[in-house]
Amino acid sequence: MTAAFSARVDAALASPTLKLAIDRTTGTARSKRAAAMAAWPEFNIARDLGRDIKDHVIENLEHYLVTFEKNAIASGAKVHWAETGAQACAIVVDICRKANAKSVTRAKSMLGEEIGLPHALEEAGIERVETDLAEHIIQLAGDPPSHIVWPALHKTREQVAELFRTHHRDPGALASVEAMVGSARRQLREKFMAADVGISGANFLVADTGAVCTVTNEGNAELTTTPPRVHIVTAGIEKLVPSTAHAMAMLRLLVRSATGAELTQYTTFHCGPKQAGDLDGPEEFHIVLVDAGRTRMLAEGLADMLRCIRCGACLNHCVVYRQIGGHAYGATYPGPMGAVLTPSLSGLEAAQDLPRACTLNGQCQEVCPVAIPLPTLLRGWREKAWQQGFEPATVRWAVALWRFLILRPALYAAASAIGLRLMPLFSRNGWISRLPLAGGWTAHRDMPSPTGGTFLAQYKRRMKK
Amino acid sequence: MSSARAKILQAIRAASPATSSGKGPIGAQAAALSARAAATRPERVSGPVDAAFLTRLQDPGIGATTERVATLQDFPDAVRRYLAAQGLAAAVAVQPHPELLALDWSGVETHHHIATDEGAAVGLALGGIAETGSLVFHSSAASPTLFAFLPLHHVVAVRAETLWPWLEDYATALATLPQPRNVNLVTGASGTTDIEGTLVRGAHGPGWLHIVLIGSTNAT
Ligand code: SF4
Repeated sequence: MTAAFSARVDAALASPTLKLAIDRTTGTARSKRAAAMAAWPEFNIARDLGRDIKDHVIENLEHYLVTFEKNAIASGAKVHWAETGAQACAIVVDICRKANAKSVTRAKSMLGEEIGLPHALEEAGIERVETDLAEHIIQLAGDPPSHIVWPALHKTREQVAELFRTHHRDPGALASVEAMVGSARRQLREKFMAADVGISGANFLVADTGAVCTVTNEGNAELTTTPPRVHIVTAGIEKLVPSTAHAMAMLRLLVRSATGAELTQYTTFHCGPKQAGDLDGPEEFHIVLVDAGRTRMLAEGLADMLRCIRCGACLNHCVVYRQIGGHAYGATYPGPMGAVLTPSLSGLEAAQDLPRACTLNGQCQEVCPVAIPLPTLLRGWREKAWQQGFEPATVRWAVALWRFLILRPALYAAASAIGLRLMPLFSRNGWISRLPLAGGWTAHRDMPSPTGGTFLAQYKRRMKK
Repeated sequence: MSSARAKILQAIRAASPATSSGKGPIGAQAAALSARAAATRPERVSGPVDAAFLTRLQDPGIGATTERVATLQDFPDAVRRYLAAQGLAAAVAVQPHPELLALDWSGVETHHHIATDEGAAVGLALGGIAETGSLVFHSSAASPTLFAFLPLHHVVAVRAETLWPWLEDYATALATLPQPRNVNLVTGASGTTDIEGTLVRGAHGPGWLHIVLIGSTNAT
């Protein structure tokens, strides 16, 4: 483990509130998802369909991008292309400047986080108002998001109350979660109406209409995109679906997997600027299509990962995420999907710990609504890290020793028998809570003291019977 | 920026394995995928579509209340009853839809602009979707988007004959209609679970949604 990752994990495990906060939200999410799936025996065939729709789009990506562009332009949208995150941010800032924007409202978009858009807007001196409640909370706290669906999941209600008391104009008593939501509603109301530009992401880009689909439960996306004069969408090039009907099939999967609901409260298809006669809506509608590493993923054999619809189910079901939370991953995308994406987006050497922070128990793949083989992709990164020599010397040394022994069965048996005899020396009441060379393992968990000899010894004994 | 476009498309071409040549025309493949959707839907919408719609809206996760009246002329009465039951002032923003404007709103102060802190608004949906209990709005002069998002209470009429059974049925219908700037599928009242996963209504959009179904599927 690199020192930086290990320090972040230690900090997470030492936090007195983090585990509680993670358990509260992911626990609810898991049980709601389970209930939704119990009421949907067709999930398995729906998932195959979701996988095939996304694969079909990725196989024909150029066709769908060009079709989408043509239809979006026909609807009156302006379409921009960005190879990198920095280019995308520059395009957005430029549109804001041309619109003379002083204040920008933003509806949560993971792509925006990925490309550093919040920072770019701040640098340009434009007031940025996050309108999703969770994004509003972490903006006040100055935190990065810790979950792709619930970015403020690491905050307890007490911490949120404290933030609102400090920053809100009219916080009131803040005695309940209801009161906190009410305070945020009052705080953001005028900001929605006063913004010059609204920025959103996209859950789906619909090729045959040129529309951009967003989903929220709060209604903040529409309040972000409707009142301002300019609406800017930033979207990854993998977000395409062929038609509205295909989007519907994907929505069934996305929403149940994310929150356990059947559909979000607000599902909106944005298509072009204000039309003749419309009483509201933006005068300019811009769509920035962002590559930022997606074509590289295609070339690197990670096409499967481009199916990801950012539902967050793999995070909620990951035993590692549930212990260490999102910040320990040190990247925009945490959990299993993040451990696959980050090495590709930020380079394997810097992100090599993430694919290793995984037990390969397969839960993530089981819940993934587009059947992404996450454990296989994680194993692929581990192999690459090994080939490129990123493993720390101790690990390489240990594996070399293990290889030496495994090729010499008699020595292997003798060595493991010695190890086994030594282990009980460290045990108390049958449990080992500290073991030399395994401090990382035993710091936060105990293991039972071994009994009954090595596996091979037991196996031989049983075969003789 | 057009050079970015060329480079991205070039990178896609370079990375993609020889295009899905053996699989036939792209449009036919997409249609074949759509055809598979019916088998993946939760088996629920059987029987009259209006009954399925109302049943779906009973789900507490949606957070809406419902009632049924015989004709659109009965809608203002339903609104008056709702305002009284909620203890609200007899004042509403009326979505500027000709059919709503033609109704008799006596006893209720009405206006046709929506304020940032509007207490209650009444609207007429383009239709509804039984599978999900959703209301469908298409933005237009008669249906400004913000009417569905700014009020604290939203009371919406929807005609039984404008209900679609499944999400895909609506998608098919959309393809034959002029594409509006915004399609808003509204499924219940605004909610958030952003603080410790606790569900709270009225995050930014309406905290209350009352749906008045007009007529019945069989009567038409
Ligand atoms: S990898 Fe699968 S489960 Fe994880 S966020 Fe993406 S779609 Fe959801």
